[in-house]
Amino acid sequence: MDIVLGIQVEDSVIIATSKAFTRGISVLKTTDDKTRVLNDHNLMAFTGESGDTVQFAELMQANIQLHGMREQVDLRPKAIASFVRGQLAKSLRSRKPFQVNVLLAGFDETTNLPNLSMIDYLGTRVDLPYAAHGYAAFYTMSLLDHHYRSNMSVDDGLRILKMCSKELSTRMPIDFKGLYVKVVDANGIREVDFE
Amino acid sequence: MAQTTVASEYSSEVHAEPIEHRFNPYSDNGGTILGIAGEDFAVLAGDTRQSEGYSIQSRSMSKVFDVGDNILMSANGFAADGDALVKAFQNQLKWYHFNHNKELSIHSAARLTQQLLYGKRFFPYYVHTILAGVDEEGKGAVYSFDPVGSYEREQCRAGGAAASLIMPFLDNQVNFKNQMDPSSNGTKKKELRYLSLQEVVNLVKDAFSSATERHINVGDALQIVIVTKDGARTEYHSLKKD
Amino acid sequence: MVGKDCVAIASDLRLGSQSLGVSNNFEKVFNFGHVFLGLTGLASDVTTLSETFRFKTNMYKMREDRLIEPETFANLVSSTLYEKRFGPYFVGPIVAGINSKTEKPFICGFDLIGCIDFAKDFIVAGTASDQLYGMCESVYEPNLEPEDLFETISQALLNAADRDALSGWGAVVYVITKDKIVKRYLKSRQD
Repeated sequence: MDIVLGIQVEDSVIIATSKAFTRGISVLKTTDDKTRVLNDHNLMAFTGESGDTVQFAELMQANIQLHGMREQVDLRPKAIASFVRGQLAKSLRSRKPFQVNVLLAGFDETTNLPNLSMIDYLGTRVDLPYAAHGYAAFYTMSLLDHHYRSNMSVDDGLRILKMCSKELSTRMPIDFKGLYVKVVDANGIREVDFE
Repeated sequence: MAQTTVASEYSSEVHAEPIEHRFNPYSDNGGTILGIAGEDFAVLAGDTRQSEGYSIQSRSMSKVFDVGDNILMSANGFAADGDALVKAFQNQLKWYHFNHNKELSIHSAARLTQQLLYGKRFFPYYVHTILAGVDEEGKGAVYSFDPVGSYEREQCRAGGAAASLIMPFLDNQVNFKNQMDPSSNGTKKKELRYLSLQEVVNLVKDAFSSATERHINVGDALQIVIVTKDGARTEYHSLKKD
Repeated sequence: MVGKDCVAIASDLRLGSQSLGVSNNFEKVFNFGHVFLGLTGLASDVTTLSETFRFKTNMYKMREDRLIEPETFANLVSSTLYEKRFGPYFVGPIVAGINSKTEKPFICGFDLIGCIDFAKDFIVAGTASDQLYGMCESVYEPNLEPEDLFETISQALLNAADRDALSGWGAVVYVITKDKIVKRYLKSRQD
């Protein structure tokens, strides 16, 4: 199972995704990036049925970028979350639903606030201070429940992420080949060194 | 296995095939029971409706028994198993008297019930069992059991068809869950205290009339058995018959 | 729940995926003007329907130049759900409100395909519905004043939710009178 984690801190959102691309019992790739940049201040991380995931992510990416070009204004995090949820909810009752779960990390330049939304393939959307999809949630939520503070800095966030990563390494039955960690803040999206 | 012929649409192609028959040893006879322990008494109550599916088999079938030695017992669920369990218990109790020539205490009765239930671990008595009595310190006692003998001593417990309706009400009214001391402005929990017999009987009546209102397998009449150190006595109250 | 010239509607705040609790601030009560809608069930459909009804009530407001009344809204819910008769939304809706013209309290519930259950006293829905029926049936009495109605609905919800593993994680209660709406969050067990 892929790992997708998100932690919202005081002025930014941290997203961590596993590097392993697995199919059945094989690890096919160790540098898989399970995120797509939606626009300057919005990042989407995803897991689910391989094939569906990237197709869906890039469909959302294209639509959101198209909106930015047409309207000369980028969609804000809440609007993106609403749009993506709508698409997944519509897809759920179609002939072949997208089996994709996503985390949306965004920074709203108007309100100067970070935002983290979790949406599953059913179209269940919740805005959370920290979130994880799949089995990773079982291992990390207790750590986050205990250590999380809403006024943390990025470094504090990364410290908790480290604890989560350590726990996952020891408890997960297969090697997930480490994490890609990205931060979304007022300056946009950047990757940070981890490990 | 029984062989029979099945006529298909193609009547020229008559062929024999085996028909499977399966016997289901269990059924659900509805009803609900409720036990509450007081300071020096305990009550065990049950409705007297026995049903199968949508049919009422009896409107006056007792299922709370004074099994002797000031112990009340009720096994609710599959009536045949319930009766069998009570009979097995009474039989064991008789032998206990022969062998030891003394009364069986309520905590020993509970352990015995566990042995009886777990003895049929792989073909269980399909019942939720409640025992009520007075313990060796004179305090009211209620023990409740799952079908295979896990048990616990509690202040109160509802079992059977409407257990899920009654149990939260008991939490609230017997153990004062989610209630605060009014003078503390919501900073202190309401202190626990023993309920009087009258309060308990009123709670039991309210619980059953409410359960009767919303559950089709509960109704007709309510049997309340009250046990103290001086023995057991029974009250009957009518419930709605619809 | 209906009281004397008032109604109350309440929900827990948990959102979970099976045994895992995901969110403790997922409100299931929405308002469209002075009409309140409680929605339990599949969270995706809860959101979808609340958005649908926001759209439909806004359209109604523009066409009629007035707010929708509870009775009218109940029929809107019913027809919207029945439209999806053979591929339903998996929800258990409840409507509560006070008719602004007659000043009569109104509550009703629905099944997932829109069959309306008009009730004079209380309506329950969700995973703890058995427990709620037991609580409401025993603690409810007619013609309660707003403050007493608040205590009654709160105790009913809290104790019912505590006996259901899938409910709880906080609660929200609205007490609605003809010219005032009071919203309160309740502290509850966090397990």
